Parts: sequence; C-alpha cells; structure tokens
Amino acid sequence: MSSETRRTEEPPVPASTENASLLAFADHLLAAHKQEETRVSGEVQQHVTFLLHKQEFGIPISHCREILRAGAITRIPEAPAEVRGVVNLRGRIVPVVDVRTCLGLDQAVVTAKTRLVVVEIAGRLFALLVDRVARILKLASSQIDPSPDPARHHAVTGQAKVGEAAIHIVDVERMLLSRPDMRSSADKE
Amino acid sequence: MTTEIHVDDLFSSLGKDFVDETLPVVEQVSSLVLKLEQAWLSGGDSEGSLREVRGGLHFIKGNSAMMGFSAIAEVAHALEDVCAQAAEPGLEEHARQAELLLAGCDVLAALTRSALTGTVDGAQARDFLRRVAQVEPAEAEKLEAPGPTESAGRPASEPTLDGPAGTRIGDRDIDELLDLAGEAIVGQTELVRVQGRFARGHFDPGDVALMDQVLSDVGRTMRQMRHQLLRSRLAPIATLFQRFVRHVRDLAHDRGQPIELVIEGGQTAVDRAIISRLHEPLVHILRNSVAHGIEPSADRAAAGKPAKATLVLSASVREGRVSISVGDDGRGLDLAAIVAKAKAEGIDTDHLSDRDLQRLIFRAGFSTAKAVSNLAGRGVGLDVVASVVQSLGGTVDVRSTPGKGTLFILDLPVTVSLQKALIFGVDSETYAAPAGFVVDTKEGREKDLQQINRVLLLSWRGDFVRAADAGRLLGCQGLAEPWARPYALVLQAGNKSGALLVDWLSGVQEIVVKPLDASLSACTSVAGATVLAQGRVVPILDCVEVVRRVHATLLPERPAEGRAEEDYVF
Repeated sequence: MSSETRRTEEPPVPASTENASLLAFADHLLAAHKQEETRVSGEVQQHVTFLLHKQEFGIPISHCREILRAGAITRIPEAPAEVRGVVNLRGRIVPVVDVRTCLGLDQAVVTAKTRLVVVEIAGRLFALLVDRVARILKLASSQIDPSPDPARHHAVTGQAKVGEAAIHIVDVERMLLSRPDMRSSADKE
Repeated sequence: MTTEIHVDDLFSSLGKDFVDETLPVVEQVSSLVLKLEQAWLSGGDSEGSLREVRGGLHFIKGNSAMMGFSAIAEVAHALEDVCAQAAEPGLEEHARQAELLLAGCDVLAALTRSALTGTVDGAQARDFLRRVAQVEPAEAEKLEAPGPTESAGRPASEPTLDGPAGTRIGDRDIDELLDLAGEAIVGQTELVRVQGRFARGHFDPGDVALMDQVLSDVGRTMRQMRHQLLRSRLAPIATLFQRFVRHVRDLAHDRGQPIELVIEGGQTAVDRAIISRLHEPLVHILRNSVAHGIEPSADRAAAGKPAKATLVLSASVREGRVSISVGDDGRGLDLAAIVAKAKAEGIDTDHLSDRDLQRLIFRAGFSTAKAVSNLAGRGVGLDVVASVVQSLGGTVDVRSTPGKGTLFILDLPVTVSLQKALIFGVDSETYAAPAGFVVDTKEGREKDLQQINRVLLLSWRGDFVRAADAGRLLGCQGLAEPWARPYALVLQAGNKSGALLVDWLSGVQEIVVKPLDASLSACTSVAGATVLAQGRVVPILDCVEVVRRVHATLLPERPAEGRAEEDYVF
C-alpha cells in the first residue's frame, strides 16, 4: 500500500513539456496533495465501485478477481432468489449473485452495461451482478464513516464521501455468507 | 528471502512425498498386526507376520529419521521393541502387545499425516512412548486404544491424501500423455494447412479425405488422452476397505463378540474422488450392522447361528457402474417396528410392499426417535448415507430377510467426472439427464397421455407411468396444457419410473460433471452442471429427485383456472 501512495506523491514527469499539459499536471498534483493532507490518514485500500439503482457501492479490490460482461447466465431450478444462475469461468461453474437482491433492492435487469465482478471468498468464487462498474478508487480508512445506516442492509458497513459522491461500502463476505443458504455445507466441496 | 522460499517449497514437496510413501506402509503394518493378532489368538504361525511387521516398522523408522521426524522414528523404534519382546519366549503378553502395536500404528499414522504441514507434534509421541514404558498392564488399560469414535473423527487431514488433489501420475503415464498431446498437435498442424488452402481457394482433390483422416486420428488421440487421465484418477477400493478391518475389529472388541469382516473385490478400481466420499457412509452402515443387525451371542446361539458373526464388504463393476454391498448375518430389519414408526409419521403403509417398507429407513430422521427403540435405532444416519451416495450420482438400496441378515447395496458410477447424458430442452432452457437413468424416449402424443383425477399418466410399454411437464417441474415458464410438448423422456430411479414431457431431445453424449457451489445446495433437482459447445452451462438433473417429484406432481384442478399455478404441487 505504501508504494501506491508514493506513486501519487511523486508522479513521473510527463514526456510532453507543453505548457498547458504541464499546468494541468501541476494542478492535478496540487489537488492530489491537498486531498491527501486534509482527508487521508490510516490504511489506504483500493475499492472497485459499481452502480446499483443509480447509487454507488464499493468493495475492496482485494476480493476481486476479474470483471466480466454478463454473457449467457444459466438459470438453476430452485436457486435462492439472489442467485441468478451460473456462468462458465474457464471451466469452473460460478454462481451469479444479484447484489441488488442481496441488499434488499429490486431485481436487476441485465443490460449492455451490466457487469459481473468476480470475487473470491474463502476459496469460493462468486460473480456479483451489478448495473455497471463505475471506477477504481483509493479510500483511506479515515475516509470511511463506519457508522451503520439503519436504512440500509447490514452488509453495508460504512459510507465514504468522495467529492459529491457518497459511496456505500459493502462487506462482501457478510453479504454472501451471512445467509444460511449461502454458507458452505460440509457435504459439498 | 527468495532462497528461503525455495527451501520451504522443497521441504513441503519432500514432506508430501514422505507422507505418500510412509502412510501406505503404516496402513500395511496396521493390517499385518491384525493378522498377527489372529495368529496369536488361534495359535497359528505368527512368525511370518511378526517378521513383516518388524520390516515395515524398520522402514518407517529409517524413512522418518532421514527426514528429521525424530518423533515418528522413536515411536517406530519403540514398536520394534514391542515386537522383539513378543518374539521372545517368556515375555509374551500377546493381548497387550497387539493392543500396543495397533495403538502405535494409529499414532504413527496421525504423526505421518501431520508431517504434511512440516511439523510433527512431539507431545503425542511422548504420551505414547510413556505408555509403552508402562510395564503394568492395568495401567495400559486406562490409556486404552483410541475408540472407534476417535478414529472416525480423524479424517480431517485425510481428504488431502485421498482426493483428486493427491492423485499421483507415474512417469510412464506422463510420457504417454506427452506423446498423445504431440500427436494431437501434429493433427492440428495438418488441419491448419488444409484450412489455409481452403482460405486461398485452392482445393486439393484429396483434401476432404485427408481431413476425414486427420479428424478421426485427432479424435482417437483425444479419447486416449482422456482415458489415460481418467485411469490416473482410479484407485483400488481396497485402500478404503482395508481401513474398515481395523474399525470392525475395534467394534467387535467393544462388544466382546467375535465379528469377521470379509472383503471381496478389493481390486475394483474406482475414482479417488468417490472413494474419499465413501468412508463416512460405509462407516455408518457398518456400525449399524454391528450395533443393530448382529444379535448378542446368546441370541445367535439360540438361533443356531455360528458364534462368530460375519460382515461381508464387497465391490464389483458392471456396465460402468460399481456396486458396493455391506451384508451381515444378523437378525434382519424389524418390519413391524418400521410399520409402527411409519404410521406414527403419517405414512400410508398399506400399499407399500415389504421392499418399499424397508427402504423407509433411508428417510431423514426416520428412526432417530425413541419410539423405535425396539427397532434398535437402526437407520440413524442412513438418510445421510442416502444423500452422500445420491450426490455422487448413485443410489442405495436395502434387502433384508428376517432372521437371516441385511444387505445394503450402493450403486455408484465408476467416476464422477465423466458421464453419458441425454441432452434435452424445454422452454428455451437446456438440461442434461444422466443416461443411466433414462430408460426410454418417445413422442409425447396426446393419445398416449391420460389424466385420472389430477394425475397425468403416459402409456408406455403396455403400462402407465406417472408423467409431468418438465417446464413446470423445473420452474421454466411452463405451458398451460402439459401435452403440448412433443417428446417424453422416461426416467427410472430405483424401482420408480417417471416421464418428463419436453420440447426437444438431442443424442446421448459424454459430459464432464462439475460441482455446483454450496450456495446452490438447496437445488435438489440438480446434481451438478456441465459445459457444452460454445461454453454454454447446462444443469444436470438429479434423476432420483426428479422422479420423486414426478410422482408428487398433481395437475391443477380443472375448474379453478385462475389459481392453476398455486395448485400445482411439487
């Protein structure tokens, strides 16, 4: 993490020396510094953020394996409501979990922007179905307000303010494994 | 930093080799000790077995000392001493010595397994060494060998050794596989050349014939490769059966009653993935047989049976399926008690045959209740047996003759990973039904379907089978009229048949079975999934469950059109 932070503080000098771009670069540098000074303290973690119902949610990048387009999803009869089906990830069958349903929102409609964020939890892979992937964002622990929002699902463990945007931080593990039907049972590997 | 990691890697691979090499010897010694004990008891020739036991222990000692596992070496050494004492006239206390040797083998096995992690717990070894040092037999009694419960609770580290992860491929197999892969690449190169000519519009007159030839060669090569790979997953089932010799011996010891375990067909080759899952179900069945099937000695004598009870554990292969059976010569199932229990559960027993009544013992929680104490608790955990076997794509059955004994039969595929399956479609969805369960396919003509009360029947082979619309049963959109499907698929699971009405059928093909995540464990009608052409995922039906549901399906009541959906009972 420390090397990541250093990269923002001491970016390589751009190859182009045109005034305009240099100025813009200096502005950017200043803004970055300002932000670091005022807000950033504590452990910095990258987050992948995605949109659900026009709200931005984030999960730590450490859980994420890859991001895919939502191709053909095979429905499995009697699957729990939040499991939309399964996809083939290079020969491995991975359940597709509708994050909207998990968080108590209405079911997602698959569009061209719909993405699958593949996460690994305790050796198991899950493909999280989200409306679209927004950005990759560095968040320091001090930026995240850990107070639970009673109006939200218990897996939403905090909020972060980045500029105008409010990002709801999701504890993926809690979201996926707190449901009794999602837990690993002894007789299935 | 980097060198350290290398050393660690090297060590863990050496540790694994050590375990792979040593553990079978420990198991072998353990079964030799049992033989030795038999010889001591019957006064037969024990010298040969004793010599073999000492040889095995010596090997274990040398191997573990070389790897620096001194705790293992010391235990092996102490056991060698026990053997030496046993061989000397005047120092024989054979019952105690056999007990010590067996307990020692358990300790050796546990320590050897722990070597996988690179560390061996010295405390366990010290405890055992102290016990060997005890001259007082009475003292040794107190420390008693680990009972069957502990030995059954042990397999925490076992799956890593038995599972597919522990599969070892010999160098020769690898060479053969490489040759085959080479051949496949040669074939592919040839095809690329032909394709290049086609793309340029130059056709050689012989190209079509050449392509036919290459494709058939490549096909053959691929099949051989798969065959080789599959073979490397197979292991003789004796590796599993052998463990029960000890288990049954301990159970017999606890009851103070002689019980012999006869093993048949130990050389039967079965997928390691299946073997590793069968331990628990077979332990359940064996314990049931010992605890509740085999009568106390007095009863056996009264019934004119030999004092020594016999359990037969056997395996055989037929038509790509392996049949494993556990038989006892005990009292048999108590049908009256089963009927009483079934009535208490609200099951209508009047129309059930004796065979069906016996099968009730596989129902969840069927005999856990105190009410069936005269059934002697038989059936505890048998629903677990049924579900494990089912999850492996198999079935379990029981046959019992009062006074003569009980036979449990497990019918399993030889390998879990490859199966022949019939692909069918319904309402834009595609499914696979394992071919072993598909007995027939036919056109679902309207005149062959009959509705009696709310039951849908398909006439088939001069008889009727229960039928259900696959779309409804599997939760697709479904059609209003079940006979609008053009085809029917007749499935048979156990002694029950059922027909599924579907939209289209495609041929039987070999599929690779992949497990589903635990989050889908509630989907009991699906046994797994497979990947077909273009990477498409297709669910594989659990035909046992599907047939059960076909039988439970009732058509909606005619007049209540509006509520048809809710009336559809699964």
